[in-house]
Formats: sequence, C-alpha cells, structure tokens
Amino acid sequence: MPIVELQHVRKAYDTKIAVADLSFTVEPGSMFGLLGPNGSGKTSSIRMMIGITVPDSGTVSLFGQPFNRDLLKRVGYLPEERGLYKKMKVMDQLIFLGQLRGLDATIASKRAHDWCDRLGITPSIDKKTEELSKGMQQKIQFISTLLHEPELIIMDEPFSGLDPVNAVLLMDTLVDLRKQGRTILFSTHRMDQVEKICDNICLIHNSHLVLSGSMREIKSRYPANRVLINFTGNDSFLNHPAIHSAKNYGGHAEIRLRTSGDDGADAQSLLAEAIRTGARITRFEVMEPTLEEIFIEKVSEETGIPAGEKVHA
Amino acid sequence: MHNIWLIAKREYLERIRTRAFLIATILIPLFMGAFVFGSGYLASRTRSSAHIAIVSTDSSFSADLRHELQTGKNSGMTVEVLTPTSASNTDEIRANLDRNLQSKSGDLTGYLVVTPAPQPNARPTFTYIPRSAGDISTEDLLSTAIQNVLTREGLGRQGMGSSDIAALMAPVVIDTSKTGDSRAAFGAAYLLFFLMYMVIMLYGMNTARSIIEEKSSRVFEVMLSTIRPDEMLAGKILGVGAVGITQVGVWMLAAAALGSTSLATGLIGSGHALISATQIFFFVAYFIFGFLVYSSIAAALGAMTNSEQELQQLNMFLVIPLAFCFLMIFVIVRAPNSTLAQIVSLIPFCSPLLMNFRISLTTVPPWQIGLSFVLMSLTILAILWVASRIYRVGILMYGKKPNLPEILRWLRYS
Repeated sequence: MPIVELQHVRKAYDTKIAVADLSFTVEPGSMFGLLGPNGSGKTSSIRMMIGITVPDSGTVSLFGQPFNRDLLKRVGYLPEERGLYKKMKVMDQLIFLGQLRGLDATIASKRAHDWCDRLGITPSIDKKTEELSKGMQQKIQFISTLLHEPELIIMDEPFSGLDPVNAVLLMDTLVDLRKQGRTILFSTHRMDQVEKICDNICLIHNSHLVLSGSMREIKSRYPANRVLINFTGNDSFLNHPAIHSAKNYGGHAEIRLRTSGDDGADAQSLLAEAIRTGARITRFEVMEPTLEEIFIEKVSEETGIPAGEKVHA
Repeated sequence: MHNIWLIAKREYLERIRTRAFLIATILIPLFMGAFVFGSGYLASRTRSSAHIAIVSTDSSFSADLRHELQTGKNSGMTVEVLTPTSASNTDEIRANLDRNLQSKSGDLTGYLVVTPAPQPNARPTFTYIPRSAGDISTEDLLSTAIQNVLTREGLGRQGMGSSDIAALMAPVVIDTSKTGDSRAAFGAAYLLFFLMYMVIMLYGMNTARSIIEEKSSRVFEVMLSTIRPDEMLAGKILGVGAVGITQVGVWMLAAAALGSTSLATGLIGSGHALISATQIFFFVAYFIFGFLVYSSIAAALGAMTNSEQELQQLNMFLVIPLAFCFLMIFVIVRAPNSTLAQIVSLIPFCSPLLMNFRISLTTVPPWQIGLSFVLMSLTILAILWVASRIYRVGILMYGKKPNLPEILRWLRYS
C-alpha cells in the first residue's frame, strides 16, 4: 500500500496551469524527492497532498485512503514559507503547535525539550521567536513538524536558507527518521543535495512530470559518459572523435562522451590519446551523469530545445 | 471545537500578556478617574474665583447684585461696591481700577460700571471691563446675575412680596419617577452605542489585524495543514473578543468604583438606579452578540486583505452599519413600536444596538427578542463561512488585491 498516491492530478490557477497530469506513488519507509526548478509546480503538488488546495481533477490518496482531513493527524508538514508566531516564546510555540496536532501539553513539552536538545537549541527555548536567527527559527519549525511523530513527513524545500552545517544536520535527522520507518517526501530545486539520500525521485518541469522512479534505476539508465581530466601540456586530445562536447577550463576539462554501447571503451581510448599526444594527466575520472545533467538532457529531449545550462536559480 | 478553543486560548493569553494591553487597561480607567475628579474640581473652582468691582450710584441695586454674585447658583465671587459721589469721582475711580487691571500684581478680575438711564424705571446700561478679554464665563455669570436682579426689582415694583418672588424664580423640576426616566434610557442607549462603537472599532480591527498577521508571518500554512480555516477564524474571533470583554470588564469595574464615590454621585445627581437588572442582562447579551457579528465582518475583511493599509480602506464596512444604527436611534426613541422600528431592530447588524434600545424603552414581544438572537447567530455563521472560503483561497493568491468578481469566484472554489 503506497503512503502517498497521486493519480492524474491537475491544478490550474486562473489561466496558469500549476500541475498537469501528475501521477506518482510514495512507498512506505522510503525517502522521496520531488525535484524541479523554481516554479515547476512542486509546492502546488504538495499543497494538494495536505488538503490546502483541492485538485481540479485527479485524486490524492494518503495511507491508501482517499484524502480526508482526519488523515492529516498522521502527517507532519513543513511549508516552504516558514512561519511562526513572532512574539511567542519558543517553548510555548512548540507546545501550542503540538496541541493543535492532538498532543497533550505535557507530552508535547517533553518531546519538544528532547528535540531542542538534539538540535542544539535548548539555550533559546525561553526566548521570543523573533529574537532568534533565521536558521534557528527553521529548526524550531522543523521540530514542530515532527512533534506528533507523524508516519508521513512532507517537507517543502527543507534545506533552503540553511548553512551547510545545519543542512547536513537536518539531512542526517531525516535519514535517521527514515531508518525508524517513517516515510519522507521532500521537494527541492537543489538536485545535487538529494542524490545521496533519496530512494525515489520525481522530476517535474513546467508543471509536467519529466522523470520518475528509483534513484538507482534512473542512474543505471544513463551510462557513465562524463569524464573529468586535469592535465598540463598539449590539449589536442580534446578533438578525439569519442567526445560529444568538452569544456576546457585550461588544465581542467569536463567532457561528455558520445553515448556508445561498449561501456568504458571510449574513455579508455580517450586516455590513450591524451597520453599519446603528450598531455600530462594528474586526474582522470569517469563519472555517472549528475541528476542535474540527466534533468537537462531529459528536458531538452522532450522540448526539442536545449534547456539552460544552469537549472537552479 | 477543541481546535477553536486552542486557537482562542493562545490568542487570549498572548494578547493579555502584551504591554499594550496592560497599559490600555490601567491607563484608561486612570484617565476616566482624572476626568471625573478633574471636572468636579474644575466645577468647584469656577464658583468663587472672580474678584469684581461694581461702580454704581444706585446703592440698593449694587447691594442686590453683590448678594446675587456672592451666593448665586454658579458664582461665589468676591465683590466690592464702589459708589462714586460725582461724575469726576467716577472717572477717578475708573482710572484707579484700570491701573489695577493693568498691573500684574492687581487682584481684580474686572469691573462693572452701571450707568443709570436718563428716564426713571428704564434699564441702566452696563459696561464690563475685564482683565482678560477672553474671560467669557465671568461675563456670562454677570449678565445672568444682572438679569435676575433686574427681574426681582421689577417684580418688587409691581408689588410682589419677596417670598413670592423667590418661589417664582426657583428652578422647575419635572418628576419622571412614575413613568421611567426616558432620559436615563436614552443615556443608557447612547452609552451602549458608544461603548459598542469603541470596542468594535478597537477589537474588531484587532481581529482583522490578527488574521492579517497570520498571513504576513506565513503561519497560516502550518495552521491550515492541521485545522480548518473556519475553526481558525472562529478561534481568533473568540480569543480577541475575550480580550475585549476582559478589558471592558476591567473598565466597567473601575467605572463602578468611581461611580460609588460621593463626589461622582454628587456630580451625576439623582443617585437612584438608572438601569435595571433586566436591562443589564440584555445589555450584556446584546453586547456579546453585537461584538461577534461585527468581529466576524472584521474577520472577513481581514481574510480578503493583505496589509493594514488595505484594511483601513475597508473599515467603512464596519462603520456604515453602526452609523445607520445611530440614525435609527432617533426614529426608535419617538416610536419604539412602529413597524419601521420593529424591522430595523431585527436586522442582525442593528439588533445589538436597536433591539436593546427598544427593550429599555418599551415592552418588546419575547418572540422578537428570540428572533433577533436567532438571526444574529445565523448571520455570524454565514459570515464565518464566507470569510473562511475567502481566507483559504485568498492566502494562496497573496500579493494581489482581490476585486469583487474575484472574491465571488473564490466563493465557488473549494
């Protein structure tokens, strides 16, 4: 039984189509990444999963049942635009949000204290929320999402606006939660962040689904045709026929090979060519394409025009 | 219901803890007290401040006027009577008095010169020279006193005894104790009206502001992922309303404490109970319902705006029904049981003020009272329903001010 299931969901605001015919499922206990550039329809999709908006057509199911508000007690939701009561003290705020999700005040208080310990914000719990830094506020909101121990955690851009240390801290926390058997769905426009932690992904672009499936399966669909070379000396090997495109930054080249059936043979012959022409190699790495590269390739395939080099803003 | 309670509780506790609430709750009774005692003090001061000189050759007239000015209803002046012996002596006296008025150390407030009329029994002419040209109150007191003295003298000349004159000139008192004091009922309605107006503008706007705050701090999205928008709006209205009722309650207690002091009773006068227990009951009931009706309008206004400025432009929706009620007060006071009075007092936006007003003036059939409460309850629910729809759709389209067709379309969205 999938935890989240969207079937042919469509949502339009006035003339703008936010989500067009989106279908995917999130399996229990998995980490699911909803990816796409800004304005691609991620937030609109998520809002329909938690009933803030209703799809124009198509169905949303949670925990194997058609959406109803009672199911929300089992969901923890972190919106993209963080919001807390500014004048409220941190602990009061957490207890209040816990109570709204059906917790008893004492249980909410205990769990809130535990979480504050874990994320290192205990010294601030008696302060007013507005006195805290943005990162701290984000941690508080993160905690408020998890207080009622939801089976399904939905987070919209959870890592945006965090410094690298805190982003890793939250990412590790999410990985821990998944180990405990929770199902996690989050959205992000930073595709590089999720490659390591997601089991399954769904890529959307311009309200349309571009790609979905398990991370491993998607990656295996795309051969390792990226080569990174650090070199000194002659760069004439960059004209090798196996090269589809190359960017030469002078001593550092990023190369995309023509996709060919025999795995790795092109890279071997490129290396041989470089050595033969007298380049001195300090690094030679054959890589899988990144998710971002796959995304760009996929989008340009579908639209027939090459997508921008940089996908994220 | 539990969620509404949680929202209301948070709203109430957070607001009551603010410094602004404490200051307003304490300072306003202090101002009220200062006003009551201050005006009492000022009233007692106006009695005996002036120091007047009367320059007149008619010594019996000046003695009468002096008596009137020293012991009259509103005056307790110090009066000197100067009787000139000749015309040149008059000029001398006036020159002296002028010097007194011009010197800073002089203690005279002003002086009055009485010039007898050429023919007997005609009115003399009066000239008043004040120290300060703006001193109208002394001049008024003088003119009233002179009028009284002249009337008494005239009546005396017609052969009336002094006790008859005193009886004739005593103030008239109308006894309304048998029929109920319509002035008091009118006063109570006025009081209710202004109290309602003030509290609605203050706390109705606070409700709207609190809803806008939820939008600008973006908390609403977390809230809406757990509770329904109508629960949230209802909680806000109840929470902010409870704050308003707490504050008005504190003020009322302060007013009651002030009212029981002897000075205040002395000022207000009569001292007998103006308002009956039934009136108080309806006052409170209509006050609460009125507050809820207008708060829910305010909540709807808050739901369709994104900023304080936009809200200010819409607050006429609160003011116009109130102003309409105010006009209707005059219709109802003349004919509390006319068809028009019955109809307007059943309009939910007007019932809190007008039905309550009718109850204090006349005997209103119980079914009308019941119906007014039913209609108000339905109105509150209907406004809340509309407001929560506007709210839910409106928040997702922030940044853009909605126009009427858009709001109507939002009502159809789910």
